[in-house]
Amino acid sequence: MASSKLQALWNHPAGPKTIHFWAPTFKWGISIANVADFSKPPEKLSYPQQLAVTCTGIIWSRYSTVITPKNWNLFSVNVAMAGTGLYQLSRKIKQDYFPDAEAAVAKE
Amino acid sequence: MASFRAFWNSPVGPKTTHFWGPVANWGFVAAGLADINKPPEMISGNMTGAMCIYSALFMRFAWMVQPRNYLLLACHVSNETVQLYQLSRWAKGQGYLSQKKEESTSQ
Repeated sequence: MASSKLQALWNHPAGPKTIHFWAPTFKWGISIANVADFSKPPEKLSYPQQLAVTCTGIIWSRYSTVITPKNWNLFSVNVAMAGTGLYQLSRKIKQDYFPDAEAAVAKE
Repeated sequence: MASFRAFWNSPVGPKTTHFWGPVANWGFVAAGLADINKPPEMISGNMTGAMCIYSALFMRFAWMVQPRNYLLLACHVSNETVQLYQLSRWAKGQGYLSQKKEESTSQ
């Protein structure tokens, strides 16, 4: 029955009645904020912050599989964080260390 | 020596991911402090605002998770402080906090 599956989810130890649900759910806000910042010029990005986002994402992807209760929501959000962080870092590095590539693209 | 050994072998010690996860999160605090004197135009309101809500929620998470994680709790208390400060700098730079002046950009 669909309602009992929903009930199982509702009552899950990492479900919506617990902080184990809302904290990771909100963590998506960091990745969403980062995606919103994809359109910001790289000069405005912060190396320290994006490094922190990337490293946190990678380490926490592992952490979320060994805590109790195991938290796949937390796992997926940290994979996303690592992904957006890596992308932002690559944009900034490209601009700071490979400016000729940018100029060549701009000319076309 | 004995207390170091206890720490080294602790179920939330440096041989476990329960230690390194929170250590990674101190990166946010370090990044915030590194950026503390940057001009407010360089601060991302999106990211800083998200960080403030995130650290508030994770203070609670650190308390409730098994095993309870005081290192993570300390990290998020610190991050909340740093990020709120950065958020106030950003807001001031945007003109959101200048209530005494008549000519505020938010009006």
